[in-house]
Amino acid sequence: MKNYQLGEFEEIVLLTVGILNNEAYSVAIKDEIESRLKRTVSMGALHTALIRLEDKGYLKSFSGESTEDRAGRPRRYFEITALGKKAMLHAKETREQLWKAIPKAVLEYQLRVTN
Amino acid sequence: MSIVFCQLSTIEKVKTEKSNPPQIALRFFRWYCSPRLLDYIEGDLLEVYERRLKTSGKRLADFRFAVDVLLLFRPGIIGSRKNNYASNHIDMFRNNFKIALRSLWKNKPSTVINVLGLTTGITACLLIALFIQHELSFDKFQSKGKRIARVVMEYGFEGRPETEKGTFTSTKVAPVLSRTFPEVEKGVRMTTVSMILRLNNEPVTESNFLFSDSSFFNTFDYEMLEGNAATALDGKFKIVLTEAASKRYFGDESPLGKILEVGEKKTPYEVTGVMRDYPKNSQIQFDFLASFSSLGENQEETYFNANYTTYLLLNNEFAFAPLKEKLDPFMEKEMKGTGATIHFHLEPFREVHLQSPYPAFVSNTSMSYLYLLGGVALLIIVIVCSTYINLSTAKSIERAKEVGVRKVSGAARAQLFWQFIGEAFVVCCLSVLVSFSAASLLLPYFNSFVSRSFEFTDLLTPAFLLITFLITVAISLVAGSYPAIILSGMQPARILKGLFKNSSAAKQLQQSLVVFQFAITVFLIVCTFIIRNQLSYIQNKSLGYDRNHVLTLKIGWDTDYNQMKTLKQELKKHPQVVEVSRCGSSPEKIYSGYSMRLPSTPETEVIMVNANPVDEGFVKTSGLHLLAGRDFSQQDIELVTPEPWENKKFHYLINESAAAKFGWTPEEAIGRELVLNTTGVIVGVIKDFHFQSIHDALKPIVLFTSTWGGRLIIKTSGDDIPGTLAYLEQTWKKNYPRPSL
Repeated sequence: MKNYQLGEFEEIVLLTVGILNNEAYSVAIKDEIESRLKRTVSMGALHTALIRLEDKGYLKSFSGESTEDRAGRPRRYFEITALGKKAMLHAKETREQLWKAIPKAVLEYQLRVTN
Repeated sequence: MSIVFCQLSTIEKVKTEKSNPPQIALRFFRWYCSPRLLDYIEGDLLEVYERRLKTSGKRLADFRFAVDVLLLFRPGIIGSRKNNYASNHIDMFRNNFKIALRSLWKNKPSTVINVLGLTTGITACLLIALFIQHELSFDKFQSKGKRIARVVMEYGFEGRPETEKGTFTSTKVAPVLSRTFPEVEKGVRMTTVSMILRLNNEPVTESNFLFSDSSFFNTFDYEMLEGNAATALDGKFKIVLTEAASKRYFGDESPLGKILEVGEKKTPYEVTGVMRDYPKNSQIQFDFLASFSSLGENQEETYFNANYTTYLLLNNEFAFAPLKEKLDPFMEKEMKGTGATIHFHLEPFREVHLQSPYPAFVSNTSMSYLYLLGGVALLIIVIVCSTYINLSTAKSIERAKEVGVRKVSGAARAQLFWQFIGEAFVVCCLSVLVSFSAASLLLPYFNSFVSRSFEFTDLLTPAFLLITFLITVAISLVAGSYPAIILSGMQPARILKGLFKNSSAAKQLQQSLVVFQFAITVFLIVCTFIIRNQLSYIQNKSLGYDRNHVLTLKIGWDTDYNQMKTLKQELKKHPQVVEVSRCGSSPEKIYSGYSMRLPSTPETEVIMVNANPVDEGFVKTSGLHLLAGRDFSQQDIELVTPEPWENKKFHYLINESAAAKFGWTPEEAIGRELVLNTTGVIVGVIKDFHFQSIHDALKPIVLFTSTWGGRLIIKTSGDDIPGTLAYLEQTWKKNYPRPSL
């Protein structure tokens, strides 16, 4: 099986690109993550993640329209590739496998404590 | 009301300052961001900035903009602005190389001037570098060098403040110190002399004849080719030859066990070993290494009779200071009640050549002299570089078109820059090649000038080649960079339109360089003149003796008195020979230390004095001025011929300073008795003269009658010098068969 490498933040970015569907460009992704996950995302971290994901072939990008509030600079939209989808699924499956492997007693105990 | 106003004004402000983030941050971002990402990310930054401007005001937006820019400064986003067209470096290099050669070939005159200029400079620098490197490498090869100390003796007499310091020590020092102090592992006593040996039954003077203890082999590095180092110098009359000396005397045969006849008395020495020639960068030099015991002067009675150099091998390199601390009280105890004080100082062996004020077996070089030479080399390089810069900047018009076409075809500035640096490098390499051959041609002259013996192979050692390479790169960078900047910075459009002119900045630079060059050149020339003046001052200053037309010949110290008498008589027959005298040291270099006193004073109250053994006619030969009394006569000399020592009757000549020590005027001194070797009569008083360095004050000196001495000085009238020399040589060969004159 191929080894999909996906960091935690990378996974979040990939998922958010998926949520935004055709509207995924950097500022929108940043806003989305910030509003959903209640955490601040620095531009630097986001862009490096995007570049890395694109280098890995999980994302592809294309230039969009330029708008006035960007002083004529174009937006760069991102799209998940087939490989990206596989990586996401792989990540999800591994998580689920791990979840299943945890003995119920541990979880119940944990739940009781948190409750 | 006011609140509404306020809000209105902020809105207006926002409108006017729209898309106006802090310029510094933006410029910084544009500088580092990779061009591929620049537009997108800048767009993002601006979009977020706009939004923040509306929500949280300009100041905060500015601040967060700057923070964002800083956070974006990370790998992946930083990228060079280089264009991404991959160019073929190997082909470009070959092309540049070819172009460089072609343009050099095309501008032959300027190439020749450039190469000649650089060659002159580089040759000078090579020779200087060779010398400096050689001097710095002195004694570094000795593996125990850090633990070796040279002993400096300082002695004085109680009640007198002045002391005398030097590397002379008596034979007692090494055995006593190595017995007494655990820090001292070995002691080596040494002395070099000129000895007469027989080569094919012809007498030959060998000047590198070293007497040394057998501990030489424990202390210094050596490579024995034949024989056993452990026993080679055990016992009297044992001798080890260097490879070269062995070849000279015994050819390819093994000399082991053979006999060499040494000295006037033809003492047989047994050859016990052959060792590899000693490195040239050593303060200890010899062709023959004979056992110290052969001298027969080993004694442990006194610390005086100090005629030998002592080296100590310490047990570790940090023992210098602790040993010195123990030495002072020890020596105070040793000298108690003798009326004299002696202190020993330890010089680190490796610092002797460059830092010691006391002479070694090989003449020392001072560190400041090396700095001075290095400075001169640097100035020469600067001059040479300026010449290159001037010439190539002036020539830049001719290359302008090439630069224009290259730029139009897409050459980047950096490429052009390196092309011209490369061209400078080619010129430099060419000059270095020529310099090497020039240096090898000049080596013999250079050698006689600095009295070293460099060979061409010394220029080819890896260390030296590395130095040369670094010099080459440095020169090509310094000399090539300015023309390269000028040329690569030209505007292609202007050049191709023919609007090109040499910039005024370049002209100014050229002019100031010329002035600068002239300044340095004048400076160097003035320095040369000052040095010349100093030298001629030394040569012409009245030293108290006349050394014009005086020849000094080396003879054996113990050469037979009667043989020399015949030779002197023969020499004096020539009309041009004014006077001949034999002496221990020639008058400009008298260092031998003695003590003198009056017969009436106790033996403990002596006055230190330099003295020189001489025979008749010395005053006349050396042109000293007699103030009272007379020169030594033949009869005086005959009185010192009887053996043993006690039967000799000495006569003395003293100088004014020496007479003043006893409170005599020159006239009063005549006929008085003085104790130097033994009691003797003063026959004359001479005017003070410089018998040591010209820097030293005039000091007292005693000349005493003798039948021995290693120098023959001959005063000629100065007419018909070639004829006189020929006669001298002929007489010399007949009476005293030896090659050197």
